[in-house]
Parts: sequence; structure tokens; C-alpha cells
Amino acid sequence: MSASFERLIDGVIDALQSHVVPNSSDDFVRGQVFSAIYALNGLKLAADWKAEPLLEQVRLQDDTFATVKRLADGMVHPEIPPTPRIRGDVSDAAAIEALRDDGDRRLGQLLLWASGEGVRAGNRDAAAAIERLLRRAICDQLKIELATTPKSMLQQIAGGERDGGAAQG
Amino acid sequence: MRPDDVPDAPGPVRPVAVNDDAVRTALAQHLSRISGSRTEITSFGRKSSGFSWITYAFVARSAADGDRKLILRVGPPNGLFAPYSVLPQVCALQSLAGSGVPVPALVSSEQHGAEIGFPFFICAHVEGDVPAPWAANEIDPDHKRAIARQFVEILASLHRIDPVGTPFASLQQGGERAEVRAIAGWRASLARPTARYYPLLDWGGRWLEDNCPQPSCRTIVHGDYRIGNFIEHDGRITAILDWELTHLGDPHEDLAWAMMPTFNARSRKLYGVLERAEVIDLYQRASGIAVSDKSLAFYEAYALYQAAAIQMCAVRAFEVDRFNDMRLAVMASQMPSIVRAFERALEAAA
Repeated sequence: MSASFERLIDGVIDALQSHVVPNSSDDFVRGQVFSAIYALNGLKLAADWKAEPLLEQVRLQDDTFATVKRLADGMVHPEIPPTPRIRGDVSDAAAIEALRDDGDRRLGQLLLWASGEGVRAGNRDAAAAIERLLRRAICDQLKIELATTPKSMLQQIAGGERDGGAAQG
Repeated sequence: MRPDDVPDAPGPVRPVAVNDDAVRTALAQHLSRISGSRTEITSFGRKSSGFSWITYAFVARSAADGDRKLILRVGPPNGLFAPYSVLPQVCALQSLAGSGVPVPALVSSEQHGAEIGFPFFICAHVEGDVPAPWAANEIDPDHKRAIARQFVEILASLHRIDPVGTPFASLQQGGERAEVRAIAGWRASLARPTARYYPLLDWGGRWLEDNCPQPSCRTIVHGDYRIGNFIEHDGRITAILDWELTHLGDPHEDLAWAMMPTFNARSRKLYGVLERAEVIDLYQRASGIAVSDKSLAFYEAYALYQAAAIQMCAVRAFEVDRFNDMRLAVMASQMPSIVRAFERALEAAA
């Protein structure tokens, strides 16, 4: 299981136990909260992040590595991993997340290399094309994450207002 | 106010987590000691709004001073910017008292924690409301315009202050340019092995460090000057808050931070009402400082970079240091949108 998933569940349980339970004297509400805590403990044992969005990111990274390898042919560049990095049916979210994170580090090394003075002096056009490609691909990868991100509720989160502020009474 | 090195102060206690009941007891001991009069704490409660320092509102009751409404701010050992220093906040509240920049009156501070065990400071309660920066609301636009104009004028007042000879001068360290050192600091924070790696932040951080403009003047910078970090009462801004990131630097930094859409209900207008050109014009006239388009674009990119780094501090505080505030955990979900906005801002600044 992903460490961040487990930590998130622990955090929710702690928030309920430390802040909601002590401030609730209603037996029904307390029953609901303790049931929610029980359900969360069950999720902790059985659930994890969805694998598909992570897989999608890894596939996108692989496409990018393959294109960079072609564009950088003949240039001295940071190591590019052989692709595809995942073969067959992999569903372990923690393992895919680790691959995604490793892919991010490699993409970062390539981006720093492509925008560096040394490579620019040697082959300006190819380096600029690789930099553009990498920036676009990394942004596309962020779009995949955004698709699984709930809409921001910063005001309610910060202040704890249920309806988003005093003006809504 | 008493300095940190008060004789007879007990040694640091250093509990591992902030416990509200223990803080309340220790607070009474502290105020009793520094006032020389037995002080009772009433109406003690944690305020939820801060993401970094823990804030408590309370009433201190003593025979000598009667009832005083005060605010206690405590730097938790596993908080967003731990380890905490009270120095910037204390420096600001002391230096700006009686200036054109309204601040709460400082009552006491202790870097080494004294009775409470964590860095803390106590200041006067200021009546009024703190507007929420993140969502549009139903406040009268004319009222908002008046507040937004004051907000800009106060920033101009802050930037007009000559820091030489004030305690702010002590915040300037070393020979390296402070602006570049700050970028390097955020880069180091993002490079911590426990933080998730974002390639665009790594690359963009290097670009910022390599392309940081030389400031035309170096002023006091608030460091978190935005809607939501002040108190307004009866149409007047009565206190500027949250000075923990104050430093000497390029004044464009505050201007760019204040205009980030994140802090203006996603609007490009300040407080959702003041056009960008109007903000710049008002600021220039009030401060006498010419705004450079290039520097402002740079600092708009830097603002997003800093916002991303702060969010990562929050994620770290939750996941690694196990600071149990679910709001910090939720900040992780904001990263993709901030990083994308940062990439676009860099394109504009380059």
C-alpha cells in the first residue's frame, strides 16, 4: 500500500477522534463518527489509490522518453530508461507510483540537461525542441492528476464554514 | 513587552506536541510572572484560520491590568515552517508600532518557549474581521474597493520605510543577495528526499535563481502580503498580520504575491475589484517606487514557485512530521494546478 494513502486515512481517523468526537455530545452523531472510523480502518486494510491514473502517467512518460531518445540521437544525455517500463497486468498501485516518481526524476534530469548552456551550445535547435516537448509532456501529465482532483474548497477548509462563508448565513 | 532573556525564566520544557490545556496553564504562569500579578486566563480558545502558527484568543484577567483581550501565537515543533523563530514577527510588531503600517501591539515573546515550551508571542487583540481570500462573497464592491486601496497604500507605506537603523536590518544576513538566497532556500526545501519530485519545479527553480533581477531598491518585504492577512473594522484596515516571512528584498515580491489570483477569489483583480493597472498606478504614486514589468513578471512566477514550495512544506508536515491537521493533507491536491500555473508564468517572465 502507498504510504501516503495510509497516512491520509490515519489523518482522517485522528481528526474525527481528536476534534469531532470530543465536541459531540449527541449519541447519534457519535455513533455515526465511530462507524465512519470503523469503515476507514477497513479501507486502510483493503483499499489503495486507483491504479489506472498512475498507469496513464507512466505510459505518457514512456512515450516522452521514446521521443526524447529519438530527438537526442547522437547527443550525450542523461540515461533514458528502456520502454515500456511496465509489461503485462500490473495492479499494485504503490509499485506503479514508485515508477511514476522515478519517471518524474528522469524527466527532470532531461529537462535540466536540455535547457543547460552546454547542450545549447552544441545543438541549439534539437535542445530547444526537446525542452518544449518535455515541458508539454509534463504539463499533460499534470492534467491527468487534475482529472482526479476534487474542486478546491479552500475557504471552507481554512475556516471550517459549511456553506463557504458568513455571507451565506 | 519583556525581552527573551528575562531573569528567572524557567528553562525550555520542549513537549513533543501542543496540548491546548497545557498551553492555557502555562500561559497563566507566564503572564503572572512577567506582570508580577496573578493572572487568570478566561475565554481561551483555538482559532482555526492559521496554517502555520497555532493561534489562541483569550482574556487575561489580573488585579493589576483588569481584563485584557489578547492573542497567543505558538510555533509548533512539527508545523509548516518548523523550526520557528519569533524574531521576524517580533521585529515587525516592534518596529512598525506607530508607523503608517498598522500592527497589533506586542505584549510578550519567548523564542525559547519559557513556560509554554515552544516559541511564542502574545499581542493585543484587534477588533474586526479577517476577509477570506479564496472565494467571492457578497461584500459591497464599493466597500471592497476602499479596502483594496488602503491595502495598496499600506504596502506603499511599508516599502517607503528605510530599514537602516530599525530591527529589520538585523534580518539581512551575509553578502549574497537576499532574493537569490531565498530562492535557493525554497529549492533546498523542495529537494528534501521526502518531498515528491516535480520536474517543472526543479527546472523552474534553477531558472529563477539564474534570472533573479537586481532590485532597483531593497525594502522591508512583508513576505505574505495578501487579502486574508489583515483585520478590517468599520471600513478601515486596523492591523496587518502574519509577519513570519518578513525580510529585506525586492518590493515587487509583495506586489506580485498580493495580486495572485489564488488570494483574490481567482480574479486577476485585487480583492476582485481593483484592476491590475490601477493597483500599479496607485502603488507607484504612494510609494515613489517605479514598477518594472519585467521584475513584476519574474515575481509573479516566483510567487507561484513559493506557493508550491509552501504546499510541499504542508504535505511534509502532515505526512512525515505527522502534524495532524487535515487541511495540510488537502493542500497536496492543489499541487498540479499550481505547478501548471507556474509553468505558464515562467513562459511570461522569460
